[in-house]
Formats: sequence, C-alpha cells, structure tokens
Amino acid sequence: MSAEFIGANPAEPVGVTRAGHFATDAQQRHAATFGMWAWLLTELLLFAGLFLTALILRLLHPEAVQAAAGHLKFWIGAANTVVLLCSSLTMSAAIELSRLGWQRMMVGCLLATASLGALFLMLKGYEYHADYEEQMMPFLARRPYALAEQPATRLFVNLYYVATALHALHLFTGIAILLGLTWKASRPGFLQRHQNWIEVYGLYWHFIDLIWIIAFPVLYVVNR
Amino acid sequence: MSSAGTLHGDAAARDPHIPPPTLDRPDDYLHAQSTLRSWFLTTDHKRIALLYLASITAFFVIGAVAAGFVRLALVVPDGAIMTNDTYNKAFTIHGVVMVWFFLIPSIPATFGNFLIPLMIGAKDLAFPKLNLTSWYVFMTGALFTLVAVVLGGVDTGWTFYAPLSTAFSNTWVLPALIGVTIVGFSSILTGLNFVVTIHTMRAPGMTWFRLPIFVWTHYATSLIFLLATPVITLALILLIAERAFHVGVFDPAYGGDPVLFQHLFWFYSHPAVYIMVLPGMGVISEIVPAFAQKKLFGYRFVAYAAIGLASVTFFVWGHHMFVNGQSDLASLAFSALSFAVAVPSAVKVYNWTATIHKGSLRLDTPMLYAMGYIGLFVLGGLTGLYLATLAINQHIHATYFVVAHFHYIMVGGTVLAFLGGLHFWWPKITGRMYSEPWGRISALFIFIGFNVTFFPQFILGYLGMPRRYATYPPEFQLLNVLSSAGSTILAAGYLFPMVYLVHSLWFGRRAPGNPWDAKGLEWETASPPPPHNFAGVPRVPKVPYDYPIQAQETGRQHT
Amino acid sequence: MKAESALALWPPAASAAAVETDHIILGFTVLTLLLTVPVFLAITYFALRYRQGEEADRSTDERRSVLIEISWMLIPYVLTLFFFGWGAKLFIASRHPPPDAMVVEAVGRQWMWKFQHPTGQSEINDLHLPIDQPVRIRITSQDVIHALYLPALRLQIAALPDRTTEIWFKADRTGTYRLYCSEYCGTDHSVMDGNLTLMTQAEYQDWLTHGHAQQSNVAAGRALYESYGCAGCHDGAVAGVKAPGLAGLYGRAVHLADGRTITADADYIRAKILNPNENRLAGGGKQVMPSFRGVIRPDDLDRLVGYLKATDRVAEGAQR
Ligand code: HEA
Ligand code: HEA
Ligand code: HEC
Ligand code: CUA
Ligand SMILES: [Cu+2]
Repeated sequence: MSAEFIGANPAEPVGVTRAGHFATDAQQRHAATFGMWAWLLTELLLFAGLFLTALILRLLHPEAVQAAAGHLKFWIGAANTVVLLCSSLTMSAAIELSRLGWQRMMVGCLLATASLGALFLMLKGYEYHADYEEQMMPFLARRPYALAEQPATRLFVNLYYVATALHALHLFTGIAILLGLTWKASRPGFLQRHQNWIEVYGLYWHFIDLIWIIAFPVLYVVNR
Repeated sequence: MSSAGTLHGDAAARDPHIPPPTLDRPDDYLHAQSTLRSWFLTTDHKRIALLYLASITAFFVIGAVAAGFVRLALVVPDGAIMTNDTYNKAFTIHGVVMVWFFLIPSIPATFGNFLIPLMIGAKDLAFPKLNLTSWYVFMTGALFTLVAVVLGGVDTGWTFYAPLSTAFSNTWVLPALIGVTIVGFSSILTGLNFVVTIHTMRAPGMTWFRLPIFVWTHYATSLIFLLATPVITLALILLIAERAFHVGVFDPAYGGDPVLFQHLFWFYSHPAVYIMVLPGMGVISEIVPAFAQKKLFGYRFVAYAAIGLASVTFFVWGHHMFVNGQSDLASLAFSALSFAVAVPSAVKVYNWTATIHKGSLRLDTPMLYAMGYIGLFVLGGLTGLYLATLAINQHIHATYFVVAHFHYIMVGGTVLAFLGGLHFWWPKITGRMYSEPWGRISALFIFIGFNVTFFPQFILGYLGMPRRYATYPPEFQLLNVLSSAGSTILAAGYLFPMVYLVHSLWFGRRAPGNPWDAKGLEWETASPPPPHNFAGVPRVPKVPYDYPIQAQETGRQHT
Repeated sequence: MKAESALALWPPAASAAAVETDHIILGFTVLTLLLTVPVFLAITYFALRYRQGEEADRSTDERRSVLIEISWMLIPYVLTLFFFGWGAKLFIASRHPPPDAMVVEAVGRQWMWKFQHPTGQSEINDLHLPIDQPVRIRITSQDVIHALYLPALRLQIAALPDRTTEIWFKADRTGTYRLYCSEYCGTDHSVMDGNLTLMTQAEYQDWLTHGHAQQSNVAAGRALYESYGCAGCHDGAVAGVKAPGLAGLYGRAVHLADGRTITADADYIRAKILNPNENRLAGGGKQVMPSFRGVIRPDDLDRLVGYLKATDRVAEGAQR
C-alpha cells in the first residue's frame, strides 16, 4: 500500500487520513459517502422487488394473504420497530459525538447500537421459534403446515421468511461490522484518522432500519 | 511491417510532451514489484485489470470449447455424436460462461479498470481495495460454477427458466445459481467503483464534456450494473430458495408464477445486453478517431446516446416474452419501445461513419476490428428489430434466427471490440508492440469465419429450426455443416492472437508512449505507465479528441 | 413460394397470414438494405479514399450539424415504425379468433404433445387439421414451459403450466409440415416434435371417422411410455429399481406371487398399469411401481397397451 499518511492537523481532533490516490480530504470524504449511497441504492432495489411481490400478492388474493398475515406476531414486529428506531437514535448520537471528537461517549453509543441490534435479532429469533411451534413454516417438508394449503397463503408466508431472513442477514452483518468498528474506534487517535468511517457506517445502519420500517407495514400492518 | 515503427517513432519525437521511451523501465507498474503477493494483493487498478484479463481469457477458452462441442454435435442431424443430455449441458455451460464470466466483465473489468483512472487523470479508482475484492468475489462465483460443471454440469440453458430449473432438472443447478448470484455482486462492486470514480476523481479541468466517450459508456454501463443487477440477484435468490426449500414463488405447484421469473430475469438481462455492448461502443469511439486522425463527429450526441441507451433499455424486457402469454397491450408497448432503442444505436453508427469521412485513415489491426464491429453490429442490431416486430417474432422466436442475432451483436460486436481494444491498448498495457501482419491476418480470419458460422443461422432460423435442439430434421444439415465449418475458421482466428500477443510480451518491439498518435490522457504517460499513472499533474485538453484539423493535408507515406 | 429443393432457402407457407408475415420480413429486409448498404459502402469508400497518404480534400467546416444528427436519428426510425405497425396488426389478429373457429385442446408434457379434437378424438405428437376452417388451439402444460411451433403457419405459442394460452389460424394449403416444441424443456426437448398434416375438409372428416383407429399407433405409445416414466424403470435407466423388462411380454405366460400363472393379455397389462399392487409377480422384489389410475386417460392407456403389444417389434427401433 502506498498511502501517503498526511496525518490530520493535530490541533484538530477529528479528521481523515488521506489515501495516496486522493487529491484532497474533501474528495476522499465525498467518494466514501457517495459510494455508500450507491451501494444502498442497489440494496434498496434488492428489497423493493420482494416488497413489490408481496404487495401484488396482497392485491390479487386479499383474503388468503390476510388469513396468513393474521398469524404474524404483530406485537413482536412492533416492538422490533421500536428497538430499531432507538438504535438509529443511538447511531445518530454516535455520529454527532464523533464529529465533536468525544471518543469515549461515541464508543458507548456504538455499543448501545450494537446491543439494540442484537436485541432485535433475539426478538426475531423468538418470533421464528413461535412460528415453528405453530407449524407456520410451509417450507419445512416434514412439518405439516397449519394453515389451509392455499397457494397464496403459502406464498405469502414464504415471502415473509425470505424478506425477514434477508433483512436479518443484513442486520447480522451490520452488527458484526459494527463490533469490529467499535473495537477500532476505541483505540486512541481513531477520530483523527478515520472519523468518516463512523459517518459512512451510520448510513448503512440507518438503511437497515429503513428496510425494516418498510417491511413492517408491508408485511404486518396492511394485511391486518 | 515497418509503418508503425518509423512512423510512430518520429511521431513521438515530434510531440514534445511525450517523454522519450526509456529502454529499461524498472519503475513501471509491471516491474515495480514482482512477487506473487504483489500481484494477488495488489490494489493498483492496472494490475487488477490484468488479473481480470487473465481470468476472463481462461473463461473464454472454456466457453469456446463448449461452443466447439455444440458445433461438433450439430454436424449430424440425429444426435449420433452426442446424447441429448450432453448437448444440453454443452450449450448451457457455453451460455452461462460466455455471458456471466466472459462478456459481462470483459471490457469493463479489464479496459475499464485499466483506463478509466488514466483517462480522467486520476491515480487510481476511488476504492482500490474494493476493486481487488470484486476480483476475488468474481473468482469465488467462478469457482462455484466450475464446481457445477465438474460435478456433472447443468442443463437449464443460461436463462434458468422456472419450473424447469427449480423442480425438474436433475443436474447441478444450485451451485451454478449460487455462482451466478455471487458474480452479480462483483459486477455491482465494479459498477459502484466506476460511478464514484467518475463523479469524484476527475483531474482538475476534466469536466463532464471533456470525458472520452469510453468513460461515458462505462458510466452508463455502471448505472445499469447498479440498477439492474440487484433485481437478478433477488430473482436468483428466490430461485435458489425455491429449488432448495420449495418456497414457491415461481412454481405453480406452490402457488407461484413461472412467468414472474421471466419478468425478473429479463428485467436484468435485457439491460445486461447493453452492459455487454456499451463498453464496446466506447472502445470503437476511441479507435475510430485515433485511426482517422479526426475529431469524433457529434461528440455530445454520442455521449447522450450512451445515457439514452442505458435508460430506454430498462423498458423493453418484455420483447423476450411476446409469445409467452403476455397481454397484447404489454406486447405492443414492449415492441414499440424496442424500436426506440434503435435511435441511440443509430446515432453511434452514423457518427462513426461520419468520423471516417475526410479523415486520414490508417488500416491497422484495431481499425480493422472497429470496421468489422460496425458492420456486424448493424446487422445484429437490425435483426434485433426483426425480432421486435410482433408478427415476425411469432415465427422466429426461439429459433436459430435469435441465435444468429445475438452472436452478431455479442461476438461480431462486443468480442471484436474487445479484440480491437486489446490491440489498441496492448502497447500501453504491456509496453510492447504486437505483430501487425499477424494482427491483420487474424482479424480477417475472424471476420470471415464469423460470417460463415453465423450467417447460415439466420436462414436456418427463418426456415424454422428451433434453438437448443440436440437433434434436428435432416433438411437442415447442409447449413449446419456450413456453420460448423465456419466455426473452425473462427477458432483459428481466435487462436492467433493468443499466440502472437503472448509472444510479443518477450519478443515484441518496445512501445513508445503514444504509438498511434492518439489523443487522450492515457497516451500522455509512459507505456507501460508508472504505478501512479502520471509523472506530474496531467494536462487536460480543452476538448476531447483534439486531433489536428486535416486541412488540405496529403498525409505521410504509408506502407 | 419457391419449390422445395435440397437446400431450401424459404419455408413453405400454409396460410394467408404466413404469406403476409413473409411479406413483412421481405419488406423489412429491403428497408434494412436501404439503411445499411449506404453505411457499408460509405465506410469502404472512405477507408480507401481517405487512407493516410492518399491525396484527398480533407477540409471540413466543423459545423455543429444538429440537423444531420436529428435526421439520421428520426428518418430511419420513422421508416421502421411502419413495420412495427404492420407486424403489430398481424399479431393482434392472430390473438383474436373468429367465433366460428373449431377448438383443439393441446397439452404439452415432458416430452410429448397431445392434441384433442372437438369431436373427442385425440392424437399424440401429430396433428391433423382441415384447411379453409379457422382453428383455435388452446394450450397448456402439465409440467414445465413448452411452446408449440408451427413454422408453416409462422406461429408459436407457449404452453404454460398454470394457465391456458391460445392462438388461431386459418390454413389454406394442404400438405405435411413439421411441428416443434420451441421452448427449451429439458433433456428431450429436441424430440418433442411431430407432423402437422393439413387436409381438405372432406379428408379431415374421413380421417376423424376412419383414420382415428390408426392413431393408437406405436410411435404415440412410445411417446407416452417415455413421458409417463415407464421407460425409466422398465428399461433400466433409474438406478436401483428392479422392474421386469416389458419387451415380448404380450402373450407370454406370467407367474404370479399367489402361484397362479396367467397369460399377459391386454386386460392383464391394463390392470397392472392401473393397479400394480394386484397380481404381484412371483419372485418380485419391492413393489415400487406407482398406480396410474386417474393419471393416464383411457385413450392414452389404449395407446400404451398398443405399444406394449408391439414392443418386441419396435424395442430396438425405440432405442435412442
Ligand atoms: C449485446 C447483446 C445484445 C444487444 C445489444 C441486443 C440488441 C437488441 N436486441 Fe437482442 N438479444 C440478445 C442480445 C442482444 N440484443 C440476446 C443474448 C438474446 C437472446 C436471449 C435468449 O433468449 O437466450 C436477444 C434476443 C432478442 C429478442 C428476443 C428474441 C426472442 O427470443 O423472441 C429481441 C426481440 O425484440 C431482441 C431485440 C433487440 C433489439 C431491438 C436490439 C437493439 O438494441 C438493436 C439496436 C441496433 C440497431 C438498430 C442497429 C444500428 C442502427 C442503424 C444501422 C441505424 C438505422 C436503423 C434504425 C434507426 C432503425 N433481442
Ligand atoms: C459472449 C457470448 C458468446 C460467444 C463469444 C459465443 C461464441 C460462439 N457461440 Fe454461442 N451462445 C451464447 C453466447 C456466446 N457464444 C449464448 C448466450 C447462447 C445461448 C445459450 C442458451 O441457449 O442457453 C449461445 C448459444 C450458441 C449456440 C446455440 C446452441 C443451441 O441453441 O442449441 C451455438 C450454435 O452454433 C453457438 C455457437 C457459438 C460459436 C461457434 C461461437 C464461437 O465464436 C466460438 C469460437 C470457438 C470455437 C469454434 C471452438 C474453439 C474450440 C476448440 C477448437 C476446441 C474444440 C473442441 C471440441 C470440438 C471438443 N452458441
Ligand atoms: C417406479 C418404477 C416403475 C414405473 C415408473 C413403472 N413401473 Fe411397471 N413395474 C414396476 C415394478 C417394480 C413391477 C413389478 C411389479 C410386481 O412385482 O408385481 C412392474 C410391473 C409392470 C408390469 C407387469 C410386468 C410383467 O412382467 O408382468 C407392467 C405391464 C408394467 N409394469 C407397465 C408399466 C407401465 C405401462 C408404466 C408406465 C405408465 C410403468 N409400468 C411404470 C416398476 C415401475
Ligand atoms: Cu417441450 Cu421443449
Ligand atoms: Cu432484449
């Protein structure tokens, strides 16, 4: 690696280390943020296809979908929405603190964010378990499916699992990255060198929230 | 062949800002470091481009051998050479490998990677590590697909239509699907890197309308990567879930709809054909002005046409499904929109022709490929319009007419552009000149071999020979034999460059910085370029393609 | 149309719509030539005329030629739109059958076609139809996606597993033409083909009343035999299944598990297919053959039995 380490002005507590191929700090920050937005756009498109399919299914077969959606654990979903909203809050706080250079409090907020994310996954896991007990998993070949064997309900329930599992996978990766980031961010001098990592990561975290905030109404609410 | 040497040697001497070629350049990007590690962990966009070049060449060979099997089997009508099953696996591997592991990454991942930073005057792409990651992602996907092939192959066709792929095929569909899904991420990462680079990394003075067309077409391509690839990723994830867990989005037995898969597939794969053709158009737009020594005609129109193509292409996917129970209204709309795609394509073709007009032409290998490209792309494109005509489609859908159509564009078009670009930038990439006579001979072989192989397929298609047929009625044998014979000429034409290009790496003449007298920032640095591309801050011209206006010039002596 | 020769360059057309399709493509080809030949000629001419070193007037006036650009965008486009319209008209017409059309039901399955005539007769892979009579084909599939392709009529239509699609035509030329499956559907996609025989109304009526008996022919039975998976077990393709070979079975003595010995006649074979658990064979292994009751329709069962009757005759011919 041939990065020229032009350390940020030591008088200034926050900043970025410029990689050798960028001409200015501003260019590097712009590129990083822009890149994350572009990535999130592709992710949004990925989920959009699923949500669209679910909505179309709902339009085509309203009763069947409602019958299936009635078995979703609305209150767990709602609680999870709140959990994720709180985590967004702590993430925003971490970003603000990183800008101010308050490293310790920022690390605290990052840890809080990760724990809230983990809480979400735990609740989700519990929800899946409850579904399993209720025989609500039509793709498990050896387990009878509790609802009427109607193609549309089956399809809706399956879509629900694909969408939530994909979201959970994103959240899981998000937490893993976040923990690694927190570990790095707790080192002295981190904010002088990589403050923008926190900003860019924050975009990703908010995005995961956003997906859930679309998923919750599309899967749980409109079908009630 | 002496023209390139003396001519361009003195061209280099006349141009003061080109540094004199040094014979021993330990400092260029190829020689700066030489450990294996320095290649496999490199973040230099130029080295990553070479990693890609090596891998896609390997995949081209795999795909071509599969094509060889296909053409071999079709020499006889009754399937005596190959069982139906083997044949089906051969064309599936051929399609999958050629599309996803060769053609889609071909020009963007090699020349795009190599040239975009050079052309915009940057030291590297915005995210060098991501760039390396994308190559590893690509190789991971490739591994899965190769595993599928080694274990016994796949027989679904490259289109993976449900429910054949989800419930009925007994072959290794899952690893192949996973491989293709993973490769999609590699495309996304490459596209993302390009978009961010083009937006944020341009040298001072390099405004949008000073960008070479090559960069414009790659920008358009990257947009398609970003906007369309997620959809195929989703479709493939659902297909995998369906095959593995019977999730049932596409299988009527589980309440799904197989036509939905076709919609999702073509929503990506039609734009994907512009992923395959736009970068080639970019290459041609560089070669033609350089060898005509004339400014590109209608620069802005050509640039807008790239963006136009990238936009309209998202709204024509239904033309693959005219006979698949699509509603009449949808068919009408998709047909009409497909005709509209012809407009930006026409802009490009006519502007290239106009560029040649009153230029000062050199018919070196890259230019021969470029001219071949224009001819074959036009034929392929116009037969695309035949296919887009509803009543005609009803007859030639899924026949060899379609096969001929897309080989004219993909092989006659993009592969020729790829080869043209390879010869054009070979001196820049390797610092060596290739053998010009051999270059011209193989261009000729490819052009003739190609037409003998694929023109008969237009006739076969109109006569009604369906595609993906391991056996066929005897009355089609003559044309099939002709086509197979042509493919051997074509194979020879592909083989030559593999030999003489490699040979030139050791025995070729050293290339000067700008052997073609071409304009563009990539020619202002040494060949091969130093690790950080430019010695100083590159000089951005006022306009792109600022070739001298050839007033009454009579030109220099050619061979 | 041109006479058919060894190297046919044009397919026979058996309906007015097919002839019109040919006209569209011919017209389009003329236009294509108009649009491309100038480009090709220009490139070649420029390449020679303005070759470096060639004496030529290279003065250009660098005009921003928006007018040229617009015209070469729009003129070809508008010209081609004419063919869009013509093609669309013909296509839409092929989707809207006249009310007096006779209806043929078609079913695709891996890897055979079955056609059912309005009078009840059915046939496998081959299709006999009258000319001068609008015919509507309603088509569906029992497994994957197939497509019925009738090149002489310039028509094709997909057979989808979950729904019925349809197409109609009015043929006007007798003769025997090919029909194919044109949507890739797995291993034997390329042998899912047959003949389309177009005949006069009188011939068709005659075929319906007298010819139908020949329809339970051996080839049709063979197609069923493969399509319903009999070949998989009985010809040893599926590993691990020990099923008796069926060549030469008809008329032979069969030893049953309960000690009886009976002659394998048509009734025995029929009963065995419908209920394999009855009349268990002596020394038979595990009985794995599924019951085909309600799966194979009576007319197909006849064909299947007909094929098994003849199976010794065609066994080697059927080997692919
Ligand atoms: C690089 C790849 C590529 C490209 C660029 C194109 C370009 C086009 N394609 Fe093609 N196509 C494929 C690859 C490609 N295609 C593949 C792989 C398939 C088969 C997939 C499968 O089933 O396996 C396919 C199949 C396919 C079909 C479906 C066939 C079927 O299965 O029934 C159709 C139907 O409309 C079609 C149409 C078109 C059109 C209208 C264009 C247009 O973009 C062409 C525009 C270009 C021109 C028109 C020529 C230049 C212009 C002029 C010379 C100016 C004068 C002309 C006018 C202004 C009109 N293509
Ligand atoms: C980039 C894309 C690309 C490229 C470069 C090619 C290149 C070639 N293709 Fe391919 N082709 C596709 C993309 C491409 N194709 C796609 C997407 C399909 C559809 C698949 C599907 O239906 O799912 C297809 C389908 C396809 C078919 C139709 C199969 C069918 O429908 O049944 C045929 C038939 O001739 C064919 C031929 C060729 C030939 C001769 C070449 C030549 O250019 C290749 C030249 C090479 C050789 C001629 C062989 C060299 C090898 C040797 C010398 C070794 C010989 C070995 C033996 C004989 C064992 N291709
Ligand atoms: C899954 C495997 C399997 C399939 C599929 C299958 N069979 Fe069988 N078949 C068997 C076995 C096993 C037996 C021996 C049964 C017994 O032991 O009684 C048998 C027996 C028979 C017999 C009696 C043979 C004799 O020697 O008397 C006939 C006739 C027959 N099958 C016809 C068919 C036909 C027709 C089909 C397709 C429509 C078919 N089978 C499909 C496994 C199969
Ligand atoms: Cu049925 Cu192809
Ligand atoms: Cu298309």
